[in-house]
Amino acid sequence: MIKQDVEILLVKDNLDAVELALHALHQERLANHIEVARDGEEALDFLFCRCPYAHRSFEQAPRVVLLDLKLPQEDGMEVLRGIKKDPRTKAIPVVILTASREESDLANGYHLGADGYVQKPVDFDNFRNLVKQLGLYWLVVNQPPPTAAFQPR
Amino acid sequence: MSTDTTERHLADEAARRTGAYNRSLIEASLDPLVTIAPDGKITDVNNATEKATGLSRQQLIGTDFSDYFTDPGKARAGYEQVFREGLIKDYELEIRRRDGHVTPVLYNASVYRHEAGDVIGVFAAARDISERKRAEEEIRKLNEELDARVRRHTAELEATNKDLEAFTYSVSHDLRGPLRHIDGFSKLLFEEYSVDLPEEARRYLSRIRDGTRRMGMMVDDLLNLTRLGRKELSLQLTRLSSLLEEAIGDLQPEMAGREIEWRIGKLPFVECDPALLKQVFANLLSNALKFTRLQEHAVIEVGATTQDGRAVIFVRDNGVGFSMKYVDKLFGVFQRLHRPEDFEGTGIGLAIVQRIVHKHRGRVWAEGELNKGAAFFFTLEAAESPPGESNALPGGAT
Repeated sequence: MIKQDVEILLVKDNLDAVELALHALHQERLANHIEVARDGEEALDFLFCRCPYAHRSFEQAPRVVLLDLKLPQEDGMEVLRGIKKDPRTKAIPVVILTASREESDLANGYHLGADGYVQKPVDFDNFRNLVKQLGLYWLVVNQPPPTAAFQPR
Repeated sequence: MSTDTTERHLADEAARRTGAYNRSLIEASLDPLVTIAPDGKITDVNNATEKATGLSRQQLIGTDFSDYFTDPGKARAGYEQVFREGLIKDYELEIRRRDGHVTPVLYNASVYRHEAGDVIGVFAAARDISERKRAEEEIRKLNEELDARVRRHTAELEATNKDLEAFTYSVSHDLRGPLRHIDGFSKLLFEEYSVDLPEEARRYLSRIRDGTRRMGMMVDDLLNLTRLGRKELSLQLTRLSSLLEEAIGDLQPEMAGREIEWRIGKLPFVECDPALLKQVFANLLSNALKFTRLQEHAVIEVGATTQDGRAVIFVRDNGVGFSMKYVDKLFGVFQRLHRPEDFEGTGIGLAIVQRIVHKHRGRVWAEGELNKGAAFFFTLEAAESPPGESNALPGGAT
């Protein structure tokens, strides 16, 4: 894997939230390359290497996708469905990161194949701590899927 | 004329008069009267019977009694019972008139006998109960309409409540986003630049952060409250003492360094949602702890009494209490009776208690006296066993 590869794809529409999340990640020096998608369509274009990301390949999948549920146009669940139903993207770990604690969201998320579900705390310290743990787990502890995992079988 | 003849003539005359008198009584009766022979044939009728059937007595006499009812089998069973048992009371039948009109009646009948004691036939009197039936029907219809109206209003209320809760939920949910950002950026500002800020600016910043934290708690409490409204109860028979122990255990951090005398009475088993009931105890106890904080010797009492055959659970403390003047405000959302700098809190704990108790179709109320203490009481509508040996299940094996 090339070093400059995207480590985290953050799917989030709100710029304030994006900035705070990036700040936390950079502060912990866990991720060097974070890509931000501002809506569901952009996230899917990125993951499926479509224009303007046509230069990318499926093998360069991010280590983890942090996905918000409330997104303009295609919402988080649609993005999750899109990722998990295609053999080329199915192996990418997707963690839902949302303010929602609705049981239906949890159930739908896991049903569609989410690899995790994390509720954002209001308190910034807690949030920072949570981002740190997420980064540690997905970028350090967890073994990423090998290239073969992104090929149809 | 001999004396004999004259006497017999007088006797005959007297008998004739008695007969005529009796007959006129029978004919004057508004109730249809009829006599029936052992074979079920009509032997005599009165005027009212002619009216009720629409047939003349010549047409009626000698025909089957049961032919004139909507349910001939039941009519036959009726007079057979009279022959068998001697009498019948308030036997319900419907007379069908020739033109089809039906009259609901109650029959009272008994056998009549020869002087020797042999049964000759049945004497039956019918009482028209059309008016009563009509009134009953009217009441039934009114009740039905009332039921329908109550159901409709309840459904409307429930829908309005749902709307309101959905609204509260989405508002509080959406408020959390910006709140998180205020908290985050003010925290970063503080961490990264506070050394460069004048003292006054740092103080303002910390006020901003306090306000944010407070609003965050309120929003979270509101979310919890609305989540409660939408949650279905999951009822199970529960040992309240266990819930109380758990709730007290969870509150240990709030008791650190304090002298508290707990007086725990026997609590019943109740059918309830244990998670929610534990929340009730947690909120009431947390209040009791909070408002006894200034007491050197805090006493918190939890127990059960019985009122109208129903268990009443109470939590009592010797804290700052409240004036009964404000008792109506206690359970309101965001209602607080104390200054925030004296006693912290969002003012939603008791609203949550009330919501949970109401969800269990119970009642909750409070008594207090300023600087003497407060007591909170609640009942639950679910099946309760009286406060007693808490290891015994109600209705269990003896």
